[in-house]
Amino acid sequence: MAKTKLSDDRDLTEEQRLFRESILDWAERNMPLDRVIKMNREGHPYPKDLIKGLADLGVIMGTVPEERGGMGLTWKDQAVIADVIGYIDPSIATAAGFMAVETGWGFTIDRYANEEIREKYVKPAIRGDKFIGIATTEPGGGSDVSNFKCTAEKDGDEWILNGEKTFISGVEEAKEIGGGYWVNVRTGPKLPEAPHKNMTAFFVPIDSEGLTPTEPYDDAGRNAISTGGFIMEDVRVPDDYMLGEKGKGFYHTMEGFDNARILIGASSVGVTRRLLEEAADYIKEREVFGNPLAKYEAIQFEFVERYTEMEASRLLVEKTAEMQDVRYDEEGWLERSGKAQTYKPTEIAKWISMIKCKVPHLAKDTADDAMHWLGAAGYSSEYIFETAWKGVMSYCVGAEGGANIQKIVIGRETLGRDYVPYK
Amino acid sequence: MRFVVCVKQVPDTTEVEVDPETGTIIREGVPSVLNAFDEFALNQAVDIKEKMEENIEIIAISMGPPQAKEALNKCLAIGADKAVLLTDKVFAGADTWATSLTLARAIKKLGKIDLVFVGQEASDGNTAQVGPEVAAHLGIPQLTFVTSIESIEDQNIICKKETDEGFIKIESPLPSLIACMPTPGFVPKIPNIREIMKAKRKPYEEWDHKKLGGDSSEYGLEGSESVVIKTYSPPPKGKGIKVEDPPEKAVNKLMEYFEKEGIL
Repeated sequence: MAKTKLSDDRDLTEEQRLFRESILDWAERNMPLDRVIKMNREGHPYPKDLIKGLADLGVIMGTVPEERGGMGLTWKDQAVIADVIGYIDPSIATAAGFMAVETGWGFTIDRYANEEIREKYVKPAIRGDKFIGIATTEPGGGSDVSNFKCTAEKDGDEWILNGEKTFISGVEEAKEIGGGYWVNVRTGPKLPEAPHKNMTAFFVPIDSEGLTPTEPYDDAGRNAISTGGFIMEDVRVPDDYMLGEKGKGFYHTMEGFDNARILIGASSVGVTRRLLEEAADYIKEREVFGNPLAKYEAIQFEFVERYTEMEASRLLVEKTAEMQDVRYDEEGWLERSGKAQTYKPTEIAKWISMIKCKVPHLAKDTADDAMHWLGAAGYSSEYIFETAWKGVMSYCVGAEGGANIQKIVIGRETLGRDYVPYK
Repeated sequence: MRFVVCVKQVPDTTEVEVDPETGTIIREGVPSVLNAFDEFALNQAVDIKEKMEENIEIIAISMGPPQAKEALNKCLAIGADKAVLLTDKVFAGADTWATSLTLARAIKKLGKIDLVFVGQEASDGNTAQVGPEVAAHLGIPQLTFVTSIESIEDQNIICKKETDEGFIKIESPLPSLIACMPTPGFVPKIPNIREIMKAKRKPYEEWDHKKLGGDSSEYGLEGSESVVIKTYSPPPKGKGIKVEDPPEKAVNKLMEYFEKEGIL
């Protein structure tokens, strides 16, 4: 760990402080920074001992209710965990695969799934024995849902799914240890005026007959977890593998994205803090023209800018996580008290979009700055910056939602629906 | 069976710096942690609980300011069943005598106890006195420098104890106090998130001096037998020398150095 410490834990609960302590202790033993760099170089699949280790540590899907194998954590609790996960793994393979994806989507799958899916997939995933995630993007469209072509047709008490999903996290891991995906498909005609309607979500096991994984991508970063896809040819799933209501898949999917994006924001704050701490150690020691680098305003002011943005982002994530807690609390999903204010889902979505379009970029820009501060050393894999830079870039370009599409959500909620560009 | 584990929250020694002018420890901004010796003692108690068929209750106890609750929370997450924090302004400034008296009174108040676990010493004071003094106040045998517990049978405990010459096995009747000495390969248990959340629901109490009984003058600074006149850091060591030659040459070089410096 870096000598410089920038953590401010005064507003954390005692339990949250202990979460942080335990995760840091675990990482020191199991996932020091040099292993993160090595994992990223060696590529997927994610090491099994770490999947199991993270599960034993209890960092995956903590927000799932206790009676269903989770811990009933609040989103604020889980965001604190996500922050530390980003801190210990700035390559964000852990944060992307096992924190944001499995927790965000695992919670949402559990919320809408039947008992069989919960027993066969969600609970084992919490234990680290299976992988569950999201498969919504298609070759023809991600943010643009009007181009979604995957379909499901009813046949007796089953649905038959066809089409291709792509840019999916963890396909190789799911193939290896088992698991499945939240898959969004059309169950009715595409309506030109409302292309997001008539979509339905299903849970599709990775070993379903007719499902063929495609070749994994050779990504720029976060290589310790795979990115792949699959083709569905007459894949049959039982009727009760439908997640939520028929025709409301888009809305349910947005709920899953909301959950995952909060954790991505929290992880990105953790990544930023780690990068600033590692960089601070260097710029305070390394002397140039008779002074440490940190003494020069050109570097110090950039450092200060990033630090300030990080603290602002931390507050943004915390506030939003609390809003999400209110949302579920009012539905009776989590036991909490003392919160009476009601937020509309679109209001919460605005805050979540602010997180998604800003905080991963902050982490990426901090890595970029740090490489400049360290020069050739920062560009080498001796330090974490280049690994982090390539990893967090995946959040910037689109993992769990592209940045520009978030701006449309924020614009819609601030300027009004009349100004939505693509309508 | 019932075990008590006495613990202390101490400044994280890896983060501590000494004020060069006053010679005192800079505590501001230094995180507090569970004393590593006590953590070892607690791990020993939890290991026994997990191995023995008999039902064992572990009670973690600490004397300190309200924030010492954090250390007890960690104990509950690691495996203690109940925690008691002895906290009262009256307890402030206690030396080892007053501290051990306070702890002993609290332990008596807990009822029948079979074993009292303490760390051999605390990393902030390093006196190693509190444990033995607690045993004296309670009138029970004390086993110090205990590195492991071999067995607990027929109201007897057999421990492995470190000595200047090596190790010995030592037997004592219950109840006893054991002062635990971490072994070099000791890997403390890391509580997971589930255990931390469960700890929230375990019994936790705060006791003041009224609860323990006796006069307030027996506790804290007033009840202390010793007085700290001054604290200071030892003068910094001079620059050492590093000899990296093969053994024979290195010995000769060292001998020359010792003679030159008048060490030999």
